[in-house]
Amino acid sequence: MSNFTPAASPAVSGSAARVLWIARNSFREAVRDRVLYNLILFVLLLIAGAIFLGELSAGQEAKIIVDLGLSTMVLFGVFIAIFVGVGLVYKEIERRTLYAILSKPISRGQFLLGKYLGLCGTLLVNVAIMGVGVSLALVYIRRGWDPLILKIWPAILLIYFELAIITGVALLFSSFSSPALSALLTFFVFIIGHFSADLKTLAATSGSAPARFVFRAVYYLLPNLSIYSVITPVAHGIAPDVRSIALAITYAIVYCAVLLAAATLIISRRNFK
Amino acid sequence: MKSFQRTEILQVLIVVIGLAAAVMLTRVSDARRAGVQRQFGDEPLYVSATTAKRLSLAFNGLASDFYWMRSLQYVGGKIVAYEDSQAAPSLGLDILAELDLRLLPQLLHISTTLDPQFMAPYQYGAVVLPAFNSDDAIELLDQGIAANPSAWRLYQHLGYVYWRRNDYHKASEVYATGARLKGAPEWMMAISARMKAEGGSRGAAREMYVHLGEGSNDEAVKDMVTRQIMRLDSLDDRELIGRELSNYKAASGRCVQSWREVAVALRAGKLRLDSTGAPLDPSGTPYRLTQNGCEVELDDRSLVPKR
Repeated sequence: MSNFTPAASPAVSGSAARVLWIARNSFREAVRDRVLYNLILFVLLLIAGAIFLGELSAGQEAKIIVDLGLSTMVLFGVFIAIFVGVGLVYKEIERRTLYAILSKPISRGQFLLGKYLGLCGTLLVNVAIMGVGVSLALVYIRRGWDPLILKIWPAILLIYFELAIITGVALLFSSFSSPALSALLTFFVFIIGHFSADLKTLAATSGSAPARFVFRAVYYLLPNLSIYSVITPVAHGIAPDVRSIALAITYAIVYCAVLLAAATLIISRRNFK
Repeated sequence: MKSFQRTEILQVLIVVIGLAAAVMLTRVSDARRAGVQRQFGDEPLYVSATTAKRLSLAFNGLASDFYWMRSLQYVGGKIVAYEDSQAAPSLGLDILAELDLRLLPQLLHISTTLDPQFMAPYQYGAVVLPAFNSDDAIELLDQGIAANPSAWRLYQHLGYVYWRRNDYHKASEVYATGARLKGAPEWMMAISARMKAEGGSRGAAREMYVHLGEGSNDEAVKDMVTRQIMRLDSLDDRELIGRELSNYKAASGRCVQSWREVAVALRAGKLRLDSTGAPLDPSGTPYRLTQNGCEVELDDRSLVPKR
């Protein structure tokens, strides 16, 4: 982040430009991290392995590839979102580079947003590479084009937005907590987010009013990640409809805005000395 | 420099010898564990279908695939162990009745609970489970139909299970119900009528197996279908051969002493004969004369299943 000089860069003006500048630097920093390359390589190897695993499935190779490929994408995407996300702000604080950045004409909110968008850009590239890997595996198995190759991409889009939410959660926790605790809490949110259907049932079937209130509050306050779980139907060739996708994306944007606003509020009041 | 090279050689030797020793120890350990695995191989599954679904989070499809492949490995392992113990040729799914597949209903149930739209476990259950417990097969398929009410193939599989139970009336009903679904082929209604009229006939059986094989991607199921059709063809052959042997006995007052005595009649019946005049079964093995030439049966080397 030491080469951040918005005044010197051509046509840089306004808060949007400052945010994008930080986002670009954050993206560059993330792609230089060797852990990311290793994770992506591992996922691609797993996808290739799914081809051989499919031979044990009695004719269900395509389903195995989609299930394993997209599930791996979610799992490793969550790891990347958590472990890079919790370090976004923490690293800047540890290296004391945050003071240099905040001494420039940039607000803490703009800084946070830029960091978040940079990591989202990294996740986009990672998810796209993994998606291409799954598509190529399907081309290999089907010995050519198959409609399923196109149908997995709406699911990949939803996976990306799910990871964007998880990144936001990681960023929020890291704004006030240590990296280890932030990572743990973010992972718990990921787990609970997928139990949302059970939370709703618990809220409806609980005997006491306070319990119903608590479960309902948890259900609505925590991210509802089950709306992004479309891997199973996609593996059967059933892509999510446009309305569901639009709803899920809108939910992600709104929820991420809430997370970033909360993180900005916490960071703004925090004394880094 | 010399001492450095010696150290390197020593390190390489340690790696090579160590790996070889590790391989040997693994083989010894595997041989000792084989007995334990046989003893505890069929331990009941400790994760129920509902729990598995809850634990799988967003990965229920992958978990379903895992249980599906586990089902295939479970049956395959039992078949291989049986064939090794009996020194029998590879007979695939024909020996299911000899095997103890107590975990299979639960494995398939978990797979389909995790992913109710996954059709392969239903079909596999329809083919394999009736060999030792058709109630489990019916329960599995009823679950599938409840989750996939428009899937006509599930009715085909359920009808097959009832047919194997010799419940031709119920099989006919099930086929008729499936035939009314959107996308169901016309032969479903034809089979329904055939079940009602002649459920136990070989013609109905042949038609059932042909459609079962056409609808499956599983090589083991296709292999089983091929063998069963061979068995039906062999029954037809033996019926024809038995008629010719009876005709010969009626005409000559004695049973045949060699195949050559009826070779002309058998050739007229469009049977394939070998160089000694013996008719060949669908697997290419000559039939055998028994009861002093009065009856015919399959040779022990024949690949045609006996049931």
